[in-house]
Amino acid sequence: MRVLISPLRFILEALRGRKLATIGALWLLLIIVLGIGAPLVAPFDPLEIDPIARLSEPGAPYLFGTDHFGRDTFSRAVYGARMALIIGFGSVVVALLCGGLIGMLSGYFTGLGHILMRVVDVLMAFPALLLALGLMTILERSVMNTIIVIGTVYATTTARILFGMTLKLKNDVFIDAARCTGAGHFSILFKHILPNLLSPILVQATFIFAFAQLQAAALDFLGLGLPPETPSWGNMLAEERIYITRAPWLLIYPGVLIILSVFSMNLLGDALRDRIDPRFKDDIAGV
Amino acid sequence: MSANPFLEVNNLNVVFHTKSASGMFNKEHNHAVKNVSFSVYEGEVLSLVGESGCGKTTIGRVITHLEHAGTGEIIYAGQNILTMSDTRFRPLRKQIQMIFQDPYASLNPRLTVEKTLSEPLFIHKLVKNRSDARTKIAAMLNEVGLNAEAMDRYPHEFSGGQRQRIGIARVMMVQPRLIIADEAVSALDVSIQAQVLNLLKQLQRSSGVAMLFISHDLAVVRHISDRIAVMYQGEIVELNETRQIFEQPQHEYTQRLLSSIPVIPSRKNIEPTLSSNGGML
Amino acid sequence: MSKAEALLRVENLNIAILENKQLQPVVRGISFDLHTGETLGIVGESGSGKSLTALAIMGLLTGTPIRITGGHIWFKGEDLLQQSKAQRRALMGNAMAMIFQEPMTSLNPVYRIGDQIIETIKQHQNINANGARKRALELLDMVKIPDATHRIDHYPHQLSGGQRQRVMIAMALACDPDLLIADEPTTALDVTVQKEILELMAELQRTTGTAIILISHDLGVITQTCDSVAVMYCGKIVESSSTKNLFDRLGHPYTRGLINSIPPLDNDIEWLNAIPGQVPALNALPTGCPFQPRCYHAQDQCNQAPPLTLIDDEHKVRCHFAVQLQSSDS
Repeated sequence: MRVLISPLRFILEALRGRKLATIGALWLLLIIVLGIGAPLVAPFDPLEIDPIARLSEPGAPYLFGTDHFGRDTFSRAVYGARMALIIGFGSVVVALLCGGLIGMLSGYFTGLGHILMRVVDVLMAFPALLLALGLMTILERSVMNTIIVIGTVYATTTARILFGMTLKLKNDVFIDAARCTGAGHFSILFKHILPNLLSPILVQATFIFAFAQLQAAALDFLGLGLPPETPSWGNMLAEERIYITRAPWLLIYPGVLIILSVFSMNLLGDALRDRIDPRFKDDIAGV
Repeated sequence: MSANPFLEVNNLNVVFHTKSASGMFNKEHNHAVKNVSFSVYEGEVLSLVGESGCGKTTIGRVITHLEHAGTGEIIYAGQNILTMSDTRFRPLRKQIQMIFQDPYASLNPRLTVEKTLSEPLFIHKLVKNRSDARTKIAAMLNEVGLNAEAMDRYPHEFSGGQRQRIGIARVMMVQPRLIIADEAVSALDVSIQAQVLNLLKQLQRSSGVAMLFISHDLAVVRHISDRIAVMYQGEIVELNETRQIFEQPQHEYTQRLLSSIPVIPSRKNIEPTLSSNGGML
Repeated sequence: MSKAEALLRVENLNIAILENKQLQPVVRGISFDLHTGETLGIVGESGSGKSLTALAIMGLLTGTPIRITGGHIWFKGEDLLQQSKAQRRALMGNAMAMIFQEPMTSLNPVYRIGDQIIETIKQHQNINANGARKRALELLDMVKIPDATHRIDHYPHQLSGGQRQRVMIAMALACDPDLLIADEPTTALDVTVQKEILELMAELQRTTGTAIILISHDLGVITQTCDSVAVMYCGKIVESSSTKNLFDRLGHPYTRGLINSIPPLDNDIEWLNAIPGQVPALNALPTGCPFQPRCYHAQDQCNQAPPLTLIDDEHKVRCHFAVQLQSSDS
């Protein structure tokens, strides 16, 4: 429990006095609640078709209107929130695990670091979207693969950032002291260095979460991300874009949801970054 | 003080190769320690004293395997620890410990005092479980003049002097046989420095641990050492008993060093204080 | 001593830090005088307020959360605290100058030392480039930088610590200041270098007549260089006297404790008579005398703030028992 309280307190303190970031955080809380409680909140099954009510305008019972299949946009939006959370958290986990490990190991074992960081450099030479596209063409469309691809893309920047920080920490006096105590390499890495990286990691996570939404939406839009029936904000944009003149609400709702969520995450990330250990302020340049 | 050399340093040379600031392919060679030899006897306090760049800190770091750039011999327990691999050296870390200069940097800010102090206990298998550890930690904290409840707090909640006490506790927990004190009191306020010096002296006397005391401050060194090695630019220029160094300095540099110390008029009387030997809490 | 005679008179200076929208007092009513050609030493440990006092006199506290909340700083008859920013800036580097502890960070690493000295000169004097360079060379000679004609074009990192401090002194003296404040000028230097720098400062004072405030935690440094001393503890001056008297007479128990904390060089003692406990946090000061919890002489009376008592010619001690402690001295 103690591990959880610390990041929570960190977030609460970071938000103090920052109205916009707090509003952002509350919005995210709302999205989380909606996403988790999707089956309870959504009035309709997102896949259920009502051909008679195709492309109806927002109004009862279809709060956000219906799409070209007659599916309720509101329900799809709510389930879309769930998908956003899954993609977001999933990408964060993949990016932090892979990138974090690579970064920390590279920073600590300099020989290994020379090799691994060159590989990371090569991957980073590709713009994120291009890299994601490339990877997706090899894999088939699925939620899991989308998460893996986006996670891998952001693992590179995470690796670079944690590499730099580990390099800095490695030479700190308390690390020397731990060595003198007899601690071995992995003890030092995970018991001494890692706890000091938690705050920057948290900030990095918020930025990845935000950018994952954009990447996923872009992939969906290009027909490469999630499978077509999956209700996600990106898919909603992709499928309904030809109806922009006839039923603009079909694009406005998911679009606004994406914008607000990404914006909120960025605000939260900025607030956290400002409260971070001053040693690392310059290392977190964003994703 | 016994007559057995406990630690023997023979012809120690340390050269650092760094990239030069001028030119990409130029390397600078810093001959930090030049052919240094000395012995530390069981139970004694030997000080390495000198100004910046004399190599005293480097010697301490080489002995504890924090630097690996040395050639020569460092004989401890019959083995040359200088050429040992880090893995073979590890069990010896229980016997050779180090106190660091900066109390604000030597404790991991993310770990409670308990975690920091229990680490050596678990690594060297001195306790079986957490409650064992807590008991030992409580006793040690009391010994260094802190409350046992300090173990549940974080370093930032303590002052510099208190943090240094925690650093000393960490070292004493494994009952080492040699302690290297690298400018252990230099970063402390004068009044706190006196407290911690008293503590170090007391712990050294009661445990009989040998100490290599590294410092630039001659007054402090005089107070705590049995013998003193004066260093200048990587070499030991004079090595003698404390009294001799101060009353009959032989080397010109030692004399220059002694004459540079700003002198305080000798004090008239010494008043009693609240507790014996300079008070802890 | 009338205001006109003392070069600098600090009167009941109060400084506080703005924290969480509240003012936390740090320096709580200190007063002292300084005359031309004199050196005053201010001794104190962490939290005593000595550095803040120096910054307040120099006027370096603007733009920080530190506020001067009361008192006067009379300099050559004018109250600095009543002056405008522009007026104070005109004095900085000109009539009063300051040198700091870390010469590496006080000098701009990307400019040559000559240029930095010249900048100070041109800031305050109407002089052309050639004249300024000549003056800079003069100054470097004055502070005994060897081979000044070449060194003037060096960067700070090419100089040793002692040399950098000399450059700082040269910059400070560039405009012939009436007052020089030195905040721990030799703390970061080796003891042999320290000796040279302190001797240099004493010699320069003899030739230029600049008054010096020397701030240090090192009683030895103070003894060697200062005419008079003020001992600060928790934002108050607890003892002030001529340097000689500080050691000849029993003064404040804190001063005694400080002196006892330094291991003697001329004889061996078993244990240092250290001051027990530690400096209290700013927001948790004891009522009355702040030194009370650590004092061997503390009594109930100490709950009331002790007055500054004169025990001898110009020797003042802030203690209820200042006089009594004298008579118990053998």
